[in-house]
Amino acid sequence: MTSTALRRSRWTPWLYLLPALVLLAGLLVYPIYQLGLISFLEYTQAQVSGGEPTSFQGFGNYAALFGDAEFWRVLLATVLFAAACVLATLLVGCALAVLLTRVRALPRLVLMMAALGAWATPAITGSTVWVFLFDPDYGPVNRVLGLGDFSWTYGQYSAFALVLLEVVWCSFPFVMVTVYAGIRAVPAEVLEAAALDGASQWRTWRSVLAPILRPILVVVTIQSVIWDFKVFTQIYVMTGGGGIAGQNLVLNVYAYQKAFASSQYSLGSAIGVVMLLILLAVTLVYLRIVRRQGEEL
Amino acid sequence: MSLLNAIGIRRPGRLAAEAAAVAIAVLVAFPLYWMVLSALKPAAEIQSTDPRPWTLAPSLDAFRRVFEQQDFGRYFLNSLIVAGTVVIASALIAFLAATAVTRFRFRFRTTLLVMFLVAQMVPVEALTIPLFFLMRDAGQLNTLGSLILPHLAFSLPFAIWMLRGFVKAVPEALEEQAAIDGASRTRFLWQILFPLVFPGLAATSVFSFISTWNDFLFAKSFLISDTSQSTLPMALLVFFKPDENDWGGIMAASTVMTVPVLVFFVLVQRRLVSGLGGAVKD
Amino acid sequence: MTAYARIAAPLAGLVLAGLAVTGCAPQTSAGGGTKDEKSGTLRVWLFREVGNNPKEKVVDAAVAAFEKRHKGSDVEVEYIPVDTRAQRIKAAFNDPASAPDLIEYGNTDTAGYVKDGGLADVTAEYTAWDEAKDTDPTAKQSVTVGGKVYGAPLFVGVRALYYRTDVLKDLGIDPPESQAELVAAAKKIHQARPGLYGLAVGGAYTYGALPFLWAQGGELAVQRGNTYRAAVNTPKARKGIETYASLFGDANCPADKCASMGGNATVTAFTSGKAAMAIGGDFSHAAVEASKAKGKYAVVPLPGVKKGSIAPAFAGGNNIGVLKSTSHRTLAVALMKSLTGKQSQRGLFDAMGFLPTYRDVLDEAAKKQPYVAPFVKTLDAGAKFVPASPAWGQIDASLILPTMYQEIVSGRKSVDRASDDAAKKMDAAFSAAR
Repeated sequence: MTSTALRRSRWTPWLYLLPALVLLAGLLVYPIYQLGLISFLEYTQAQVSGGEPTSFQGFGNYAALFGDAEFWRVLLATVLFAAACVLATLLVGCALAVLLTRVRALPRLVLMMAALGAWATPAITGSTVWVFLFDPDYGPVNRVLGLGDFSWTYGQYSAFALVLLEVVWCSFPFVMVTVYAGIRAVPAEVLEAAALDGASQWRTWRSVLAPILRPILVVVTIQSVIWDFKVFTQIYVMTGGGGIAGQNLVLNVYAYQKAFASSQYSLGSAIGVVMLLILLAVTLVYLRIVRRQGEEL
Repeated sequence: MSLLNAIGIRRPGRLAAEAAAVAIAVLVAFPLYWMVLSALKPAAEIQSTDPRPWTLAPSLDAFRRVFEQQDFGRYFLNSLIVAGTVVIASALIAFLAATAVTRFRFRFRTTLLVMFLVAQMVPVEALTIPLFFLMRDAGQLNTLGSLILPHLAFSLPFAIWMLRGFVKAVPEALEEQAAIDGASRTRFLWQILFPLVFPGLAATSVFSFISTWNDFLFAKSFLISDTSQSTLPMALLVFFKPDENDWGGIMAASTVMTVPVLVFFVLVQRRLVSGLGGAVKD
Repeated sequence: MTAYARIAAPLAGLVLAGLAVTGCAPQTSAGGGTKDEKSGTLRVWLFREVGNNPKEKVVDAAVAAFEKRHKGSDVEVEYIPVDTRAQRIKAAFNDPASAPDLIEYGNTDTAGYVKDGGLADVTAEYTAWDEAKDTDPTAKQSVTVGGKVYGAPLFVGVRALYYRTDVLKDLGIDPPESQAELVAAAKKIHQARPGLYGLAVGGAYTYGALPFLWAQGGELAVQRGNTYRAAVNTPKARKGIETYASLFGDANCPADKCASMGGNATVTAFTSGKAAMAIGGDFSHAAVEASKAKGKYAVVPLPGVKKGSIAPAFAGGNNIGVLKSTSHRTLAVALMKSLTGKQSQRGLFDAMGFLPTYRDVLDEAAKKQPYVAPFVKTLDAGAKFVPASPAWGQIDASLILPTMYQEIVSGRKSVDRASDDAAKKMDAAFSAAR
């Protein structure tokens, strides 16, 4: 398989990889190493600004974290919230991708542009606009829905629901465009055959499209998991840093608050490490799926 | 015969589908419409208990407040420099790396690929802490470098991962032909492979552009006191005030921030669709 | 070209840094500045207040005079939002190279910033400064840690009860003279005028809530040897917490709106005509004067439990300090003196209503502006302070008390449980800061 022209030196690939590896080593691997290190130290503001020496804590920070009921509550909320976001994003994205294939060019362009607009909106802007739309006093949504001055950010569930809507809004376009591109790459004959067999829409999707699109679906799912599990800006902006009494905290915001608001850098780092481990586990599952499908990386 | 015909262009449901598509488009675009509308509304109308989806007295006051901000042009330029550098550098570096992992067989190749995937998992926000110290020790705080470097690093794994498909799709035969014609490796790489992979680069650059352009976490954390190095999101944050948020200003600044991304999107739109399809179908 | 240089330098620097620091533990800051340049740029961070313009004018005047006196100096003032000050200032301590030279800081943060090693010891200059001799002792206490002075007081802040005279008169309610009357009045107003909050309260408004706790004889924490122990879960403190929490809800200030409000939001509710009463500071005076409430309001000391008594208020206020890392120490101290000197404080009082920290200037102010009387009265009745522990900064920044109030008013936890949890978290902070 390997070509002759490029095989001359076994150092060539490493030469090509060099810039990427240097950058990643310096700005990703090394900070992760430091993150892990800080999570084992006592590291608060006094240590940072040189007032006091650092001291090794072993698993002390992790023990403190796992002993805190709030951590488990936030972890559970994060997992459930991310799962809901991923599911909703995929459903909306796939449904609209199928819809895109069934309309003529003009409506397709209109929907595509609207979706790209949502995608292009900066997270901080999108979050602000959505909060404004749902504002109990000045927002149009409560008006249209006749909700009076219902405050969306007060209840835990309604606040999460509001954030979920915004997250789906800005992340379904990626799924839609990708899946749509995938469907377009499916040979027309396959679909024609299904249509001639008189298969229903749902059956065509289930037994013809879905299997062909599986690799694409796996990719968009894994990307959505990665992004939604790490949601930060939306929660931070829309619930004012974690909601009333911290009810809307997710791990990423929780770590940020611990580290930067209360300067417990070690606890914040420990939370970061926990998040990393959870996402690693997800990756392993993903790799197993890929391997089982007999594909090579 | 096109795909559309195959999936049922002749069915009577098409009109309903098109109506649905347009209705959904309106719904999806509504927040953006509201953003621009609020930017144009006179102050008294923005915070009205009777919000109307139009305004009879559009005013550019809010935009004026945005543009008259001290150094606004500077912020805009800084943002362009940061995002532009990251997009170009990331595309070139990722192209080289993707070529290495798809067109060569070498030890640790699979390990590296897995690492590129894992690298995407890293919660960027958690790394703000060590990155802060790293930037401080490198003396880069308060400079644009402190924004460019991390964004470059964080955009690479995804870009490499996405580009693999494109590089792979270029037939091996082409490369052999080039070798027979006496083209050097470098020539093949930049004059033949690069143009062929370009649509893929356009698609991946969307991601690095958006994440860099929109970032306010790094900007807030690393540009401590030198406002001449600030980026656009900082100009937006100015309008969030403790007493009374300047909603008109926030919406106008948001509009100003969103427009360049939209332009970028429109430019790469067609490549994006084919690009994403190409990236994932390998 | 510049763009290229800007990128090339960091790249090179980074690779070198990566080589140099591999394997070491995260480093700590080097600490104090070494140079003392007599010209150049001085960076100042001041807080952005509600209605900041008048403050900017006074500061601009002081700065202009300073720049005239010190040729070759250039002062850059940035106004930073109060709610994210903790992050900004800590980041500045963490990176001396990009830190400002002077900062305004809340007096509750003094002990913490000193422990963090961020503020410069200016004892010598301060004691030699003749204006400082007239400083109010409480104000001086707020810049002093362990007998050393770490800045100069800018103003004292104390809160009292603002109320709308027109609303109370219409409803035939007398200005409340006891806590019970205050609660009753608040509820009566909201019942008669459902569009108005009787008394605007905020779940995140710690300094508005504390007088209720103190009025019942409760304490935040008590000193034990060289550390503190949380006391928010004692019966007296709980009674105060309960009283404040009882003001949230449909009878006065609906929890879904008020639970998330902080001090500024409650004042904004008052100035925008959405509340009939609010607990505001002397520093809110300018904002109220500039609002719809002008001419229709009055201020009285926040009543205590017994009729006619005054609830102990929080002795707040801000100081201006020089950062240890400054490379212009002499200039920075001089600027600190101009910004906090009698003339600037007079200007700030006229512009913003900030109470001066000099006894003579304060008396002068009270004579000139009768509205100051309730605040001075509150101060004289005995204002209280938060525990003078470095842990307080952390307790404040990790929102332990707002969380407690929010848990109670949203019905998530009982007063007993929420205060126990808060006490536990406070104790952890106290013992960590020892």
